[in-house]
Formats: sequence, structure tokens, C-alpha cells
Amino acid sequence: MLTMLDIYERAVKGPIMTEKDFDMKIFLPNLKDVVKKYGIQYDQENPVPFDDAAADNLFEAGVAFLTRVGVYCQGTNRVMQFNEAEIRKALREAPDKCFPGAGRDAGVMGQRKPDEARYPWFHNGTGIAFSSEQLMTNMIEGCASIAEINSISFPAIEYVRGLPAVGGTPAEFYAAIRGVNIGMQALKRAGRPGLPVLNLISTATTAQSAIAASAPAFGCRTTDGWLCGAVSEFKLNLGTMTKIAYLQSAGGLIGAETAPILGGFCGGPDGTAVVSTAYIIIGVLVYRANYQLHFPVHFNYGCTTTRDVIWVNSVSCQASSRNIPMRVIWDPYCAAGPNTRMYMYEAAAYLLSVIPSGAASFETCHPAKAVLVDGFTPMEARWNVEMGKAASRVKREEANELVKRLLEKYESRIADPPRGSKYQECFDVESGRPLDDYVRRYEDVRQELADMGIPLD
Amino acid sequence: MDKQEILNNLSNAIVEGNEEAAKKSAQQAIDNGLDALKAVDQGLSKGMSVIGDRFETGEVFLPELLMASEAFKAAMEILNPVIEAGKQKVAKLGTFLLATVKGDQHNIGKNILSTVLETNGFDVVDIGIDQSTLNIIEAAKKSNVDFIGLSSVMTTSMPYQKEVIETLKEMGLRDEFFVLVGGGPVSQEWADEIGADGYGDTAVNAVEVAKNLLAQKG
Repeated sequence: MLTMLDIYERAVKGPIMTEKDFDMKIFLPNLKDVVKKYGIQYDQENPVPFDDAAADNLFEAGVAFLTRVGVYCQGTNRVMQFNEAEIRKALREAPDKCFPGAGRDAGVMGQRKPDEARYPWFHNGTGIAFSSEQLMTNMIEGCASIAEINSISFPAIEYVRGLPAVGGTPAEFYAAIRGVNIGMQALKRAGRPGLPVLNLISTATTAQSAIAASAPAFGCRTTDGWLCGAVSEFKLNLGTMTKIAYLQSAGGLIGAETAPILGGFCGGPDGTAVVSTAYIIIGVLVYRANYQLHFPVHFNYGCTTTRDVIWVNSVSCQASSRNIPMRVIWDPYCAAGPNTRMYMYEAAAYLLSVIPSGAASFETCHPAKAVLVDGFTPMEARWNVEMGKAASRVKREEANELVKRLLEKYESRIADPPRGSKYQECFDVESGRPLDDYVRRYEDVRQELADMGIPLD
Repeated sequence: MDKQEILNNLSNAIVEGNEEAAKKSAQQAIDNGLDALKAVDQGLSKGMSVIGDRFETGEVFLPELLMASEAFKAAMEILNPVIEAGKQKVAKLGTFLLATVKGDQHNIGKNILSTVLETNGFDVVDIGIDQSTLNIIEAAKKSNVDFIGLSSVMTTSMPYQKEVIETLKEMGLRDEFFVLVGGGPVSQEWADEIGADGYGDTAVNAVEVAKNLLAQKG
């Protein structure tokens, strides 16, 4: 087991090179070679494959790739290298569960295997900006009130006293504290004060503000989780490493946050599948994370519901759930916005691609690629819970057929998706209840998908 | 060697991202008396156009684009001295300054845009990540660019996109540059709110926006 001090030692003693050389001379050629050597091949006809041997082969490709490439430290311009024995030892020794939350809202977040008919951990993300604190409170309270939700993320606060919460400034620090305070109050109003928060200091993106705002005096609890992000691809900065070191020492739950980009340095789906799998090993080995928020994403469309990304999610989910002791929260981004049929199709396809593939957890699918201010409502959370339950009753082979039919319904609109509605356009802000139009659309699509054979309750 | 064959070889070397082949064909162009600008225009640029089209349609991805770009640069190192000696210039649509704003260390989107701009005939001055507002403006002035492209991948760094625009206004320089913004959490709504000239949700889209702005300018 490597501590962050061990990792940092490699960041100051590893081979020195420019970031460009790491990308061009280490990352790209080795990825190309590993894809070829292990015969990783995208199958567009089968977005949810069901071949355990292929999944295990992808895992081995991930180990080989990480062994060859290492992780680049942006702060020292050195490569942190790991040998195969270290990687396998870390995977053997890592815990297979974690225990987020407090009191009666505490839970056990464990592993799932492909085709396992057990509910995943329902994580509700509200990682979208809201234009007012009232909407933010409504949103958190509404989602936390859904009984099946096991954990939650808080939205970021963008302004404090009219000043933008710019990274590395006092405004960021004050906004971070404010964000935790509003979120915790909303959880109390929902009657779930101990519900685990898995992106606790969501507002702060710099390590200094995140660590400063993490003091217990501001309401932070070690039963919650902090997200520590990587930089695509295979890069860490010293701020994130310091944050991990702090959390390892202080005892908060560590969430690795990783997002391989299909079409970026990963190349196509084949390479992205290898990188995606290797990233989850990094979560164990480098972060010693308790959970991992992971979202392979399409470089051009900014979403996770294209056919090729769906395939990447499914195969790397299978490879990791069978071989890597990590609670991965698969984190989807839909192209379409709230209160649209397309959003519900996309979310259904995504969840059918990862849950039968062994996802331990998933986050509520972000509508409108998470860029629409006020663009999230508890109705999406409800749909994701319903679909998450249904998907856990489906095996991979059947999921493959269902996903193909769902893709037919929305694939052609990925480049030009409907924006959908903002919270205040499809909810009554005062009562926090959905308007009739959304309820009707929801029920209509729900019936359509039930008629398709998706086993909704 | 047949001149058309050399031009084809130059184009193919770019499409294949083969630096050595690109350098060899560039030298052959010079040795065979081929006009260097013609070698760029009908050889290298033609190849970049092919790879750019394939990138747009999703047939190839960033690695292929980067390798093509590196091959292009390698060939230009051989052709440029001849072009400059003849007091000629390679035609460019315009010059872009690219930066990821302060507090943000993400660079992949910016790098994709940089390469796509180059394949579309723009010069690019990329000053990197975590750049302060004044650094960006000083670099834009120094390089006399037409466009400032600002990347931000975090909500806490987005305000710096606004700060660049506001500071340009304060310095009386707002009309000197087109300012384009992009990045994961950035939207057209945000671009409109801060008074940016354009927003690209993809690299290809950003290039179209830039071309349209140039066309409007005349």
C-alpha cells in the first residue's frame, strides 16, 4: 500500500520530461501498442457485450498500459512509475467496501458483479449551477426525500455577496462554506441529516480552499466524501495530491474523479476502454480512494450516451467490476435537458449499459450536459431510481438488445438535442412539485419503455 | 522525380502522420525545384484538409490529428527557409492566441482546438494553462493576434473569462480582438452574458464561429 508521501516521492524522483513528450512519446504510442497487443476492438453492433473473457482481457490491458506509462505530475514535470507487482499488490489489498454517511443514514457501499440482480448504490448528483439559494435548497431537499437515494452531491455556489467564487480567492473559500451550510440544512429539512455527501466541498476547486473549508467547524464530517480530480489524461497536479494527502491523514472519504475523453488522447473507443479501465486501477493505487466518480465522455458531444461511449462504459465497467476492488460511481451526462423524452431514453440506455455490467453505483444522469443553469429537477432523480432498479433485473445480453432499441430513438439527435426545461419552468417553485406537463410526459415515456420490455415496477 | 508525385507524397505523409516521410518529401520538393508555396498549398495543406475532414466526421481522433500536425511542422521547417528567402508568405486566415485561464490546469480541449485551427489555416499562439488575465492580454498584444480563445473547464475559473473581457474594455482594447470562449461548463448563455464574441461547443464549431466573425468583419 502506497501512501501519498510514497507517490509524491516518485513525483520528485521519476523521469523528467515535458508534458508534450509524455503525451506524444509515452502515452500515445504505448496505448496504440497495448490496444493492438491485447486485440481490443470496438463492436458497434453490440453496445453492451457479454463476454467475461474479453472483460478480463481488457483488465489485463489496463494493467499493462499503466505499467508502461505511469502517471504524469504536472507540478514537477516527472513521471510517477509503478511496476506490475505493485499494481497487483494494491488491488489485492484494497478494501471491497466503504461506509459513507452518519447515523441512520449511513450505508455500506460495496461491489457488484456483471449480471448480479442486486440494486446498485443510488447516488444523486446535482452538480449543476442554480441561480438562487432557494432553488438549490429545493433541489437538495427534493432529491434527498427520495427514499432510495443512498448519497447525494451538492451543487456549487457561484457567487458570495455578488462576488464570483473564483478559484484560489477568499470568495471561493466563503462560497465553499456557504455551500456546505445550505446543503446540510436542506438534508435536515428532508429528514436525512446523515445522508452521505460525496462531493462535500463542491464549490472549491483549488486544494487550498477545499482543505480550508473542510474543518469540522464548518460542518464537515469524515463520514462524507471529497472529490479529487485527475487531469486528462493520466495527469495529477500537486494541489490534488496535497488534498489526497490531507484526506488520507484526516480520515475523510476520498473520491477519485476521472474522465477519459473519447476522441482526445485516448483516440477511439478501443483506446478509451483501456484508459478507462486503467484509470480505475489508478483510483486504487494512487488515490487509495474509497469510491471513484468516473465518466468516459465524448470529446465532441460532451455527453456519455453516444453509442461508442456506451460501449466504453459497458466494457470497462465489466473489466473493473470483475477485477478491481473499487466502488465506481458511473457518472452520466445526457445531451438532452430535463422534461424531454430524449433525456429519459438516454438515461435508460446509459443505466442499462452499466448496471448489468456490474456497476457498484451510478449518479443521476446529468441533463443537458450539466451546463444549463437550473437545469435539474427531482423528477430526473426519480426516473434514474426507477430505471436503476429496473436495470438491475436485466442481464447483459438482454440489456444489449434494449440499448440498441433505445439508441435508435435518440442517436440521430445527439448533435442537436432539445434543451428541455429549467427547474422553474417545469416545477412549482413554492411547493417544490412538478407541473402537470412534466408528469404526463414522464408517465408516457415510462409506459413506452415498459411496453418495450424494460422491467419497471 | 515527378512533381505531382512529390505533392502526393507530401499530402500522404501528413494524412499518415509520418514525420520522416514528410521531411523527406519536403526536401525532394526543394531538390526538384518545386515552388515551396505550392508544396505547402497543394501538398501539406491538402493532406491537413483530408485529415481535418476525417476528424470532423469522427473517422479519426486527436492522436491522428496531432501526428499530422507534427508531420506538417517538420516539413515546414525544411520549406520555411526557402519561402522566407523568396520573400513569400504562407497565406493564413488569421492568428489565434489560446490560453486556459487562471486557476485552471486543463489543456486537452485547448490542445484539440489548437490543432483543428492549424488544420484550417489559422496561426496559433498557445500560451498554455493557468494564465492570468494580464499575461493573456500582453501576449495577444505582442503577437498582434486577431482572436483570443479562452478555455475554462471549471465553474471557479469561468469568471476569469469575464475578467479578460472586462479588462480589455478597461484598457481600451476590446475592439482589437475577437474573444471566443469554450470549455466543459461554458455555454452560449454564459458567452452572451459576459459579452464574448463567440462560443464553440466543439473545436470544429469554434473554427466555424471564427470564420464567420472574419467574414462579417470583411
